[in-house]
Amino acid sequence: MRNLFAFIYRFRAFLIFVLLEVLCIFMIVRYNTYQGAAFFNSANKYVGEVLEFQSGITDYFRLTNVNSTLARENALLRQQVLQYRRAALIDSTRTLDTTFVAVTDTLQQHPYILHAGRVINNSVRRTNNTLTLAIGTDDGVQPGMGVIASNGVVGRIKTVSRKYATATSLLHSQMLISAKIQKNNTFGTIKWTGGDYRTALLDYIPLHVKPAQGDTIVTSGYNTVFPEGIMIGTISSVAKEADKSFYTIRVKLSVDFAQLSYVYVVENTQQEEREELEQNAGILPNEE
Amino acid sequence: MKSSIGINNIVQFILFVALQILLMDNLVLYSTGFCYIYVAFLLFLPININRVLLLFLGFLVGFTVDVFYDTMGIHAAASVLLAFLRPHLLNLLTPRDGYDISDSVNIHVMGKGWFLTYTSTLILVHHAAVFFLERISFDDALFTLLKIVVSALFTGVVILILQLLFFSPKRTSRV
Repeated sequence: MRNLFAFIYRFRAFLIFVLLEVLCIFMIVRYNTYQGAAFFNSANKYVGEVLEFQSGITDYFRLTNVNSTLARENALLRQQVLQYRRAALIDSTRTLDTTFVAVTDTLQQHPYILHAGRVINNSVRRTNNTLTLAIGTDDGVQPGMGVIASNGVVGRIKTVSRKYATATSLLHSQMLISAKIQKNNTFGTIKWTGGDYRTALLDYIPLHVKPAQGDTIVTSGYNTVFPEGIMIGTISSVAKEADKSFYTIRVKLSVDFAQLSYVYVVENTQQEEREELEQNAGILPNEE
Repeated sequence: MKSSIGINNIVQFILFVALQILLMDNLVLYSTGFCYIYVAFLLFLPININRVLLLFLGFLVGFTVDVFYDTMGIHAAASVLLAFLRPHLLNLLTPRDGYDISDSVNIHVMGKGWFLTYTSTLILVHHAAVFFLERISFDDALFTLLKIVVSALFTGVVILILQLLFFSPKRTSRV
């Protein structure tokens, strides 16, 4: 027994090294997976405060950019409001009584709520990029919600604390987003393979459709994370490889991830109902 | 030879981690050159430091960076590896008449050859661990290798500049 202790004491440095490495590997495997959540991450209160302080300084240098983005978005929204107002003036069926209109039309219920959040930490050059937002459970954010910017899809909430949230960026090696080509509704999967942060790949587009350069890619709405029709990007190149049954399509992302400053977290009010229904029906929820 | 950590090591810890999180996080050269300056804290610790303490310090600094980078465990694993290899490398690099009482990791005291061998070896090991753990697989290994070499060069140059600027040629170490 004494010999054993002597042995352990003699090799204590090596044993502690092995122990710490095993702990690290455990953490990597357990918490680095896309869905994994940990207490120690940048949504932590103190970490969040440091990051918010940092972005409080750096944001001043980007104010012009942020302002012009917001102004552009305002202009777009104003234009849409005007269009709807005109449409409402021309189309008077809404004002008729309910005999002609089905009041249970689900489109009228607006199942999506948007929470605006400020990006306080962001990366685009790593293999697995994440964002930290200054918005948390106090504002209604929950893990798994989608994150969009004014011009397209950004990612998905990973962990939340009271005031902060971390999100897996679209620029994450394990992030998959269900997408479709807008003009013919062919659906595939968007995936980022590293390298350039402006381009991603669109997978699983079968060879019988004819995608063309410049086609718009939007979200499919097949899962409950993103509403249907949110812009992802445009096709920048289409290639047919000899031994593959799908196209290799490169997509130029519409969001400039390096310039993100404000994003919207999408809350789907009907998510539970839909997921419960799909689960009861035996359809496994689409994990993308 | 000093063997315990002093106040200047604690100051270095805070300085290097702050530098890493607040500045170096945004300073990436051509998507390949990353500067993990926080390893300088581990490199500049006293030569005769207790091995077990060194391992725990390596874990601590790696873990702190991990928390801010949202890369649970990757930097901690690489730093612990560095902390484990450091005493062995120091043994290999022992000068002819052993380490002196006043020796510290200082380019002026130990000489250019010793310092460059010491830092470049440990930085290469650390960066290789970080980038391969980040990728998990060996596909795209060429790009990962390029990243390792460029980043190690970047970190090495920054550490060299820090040494030449802030470490006095006198035979005592100061921050």
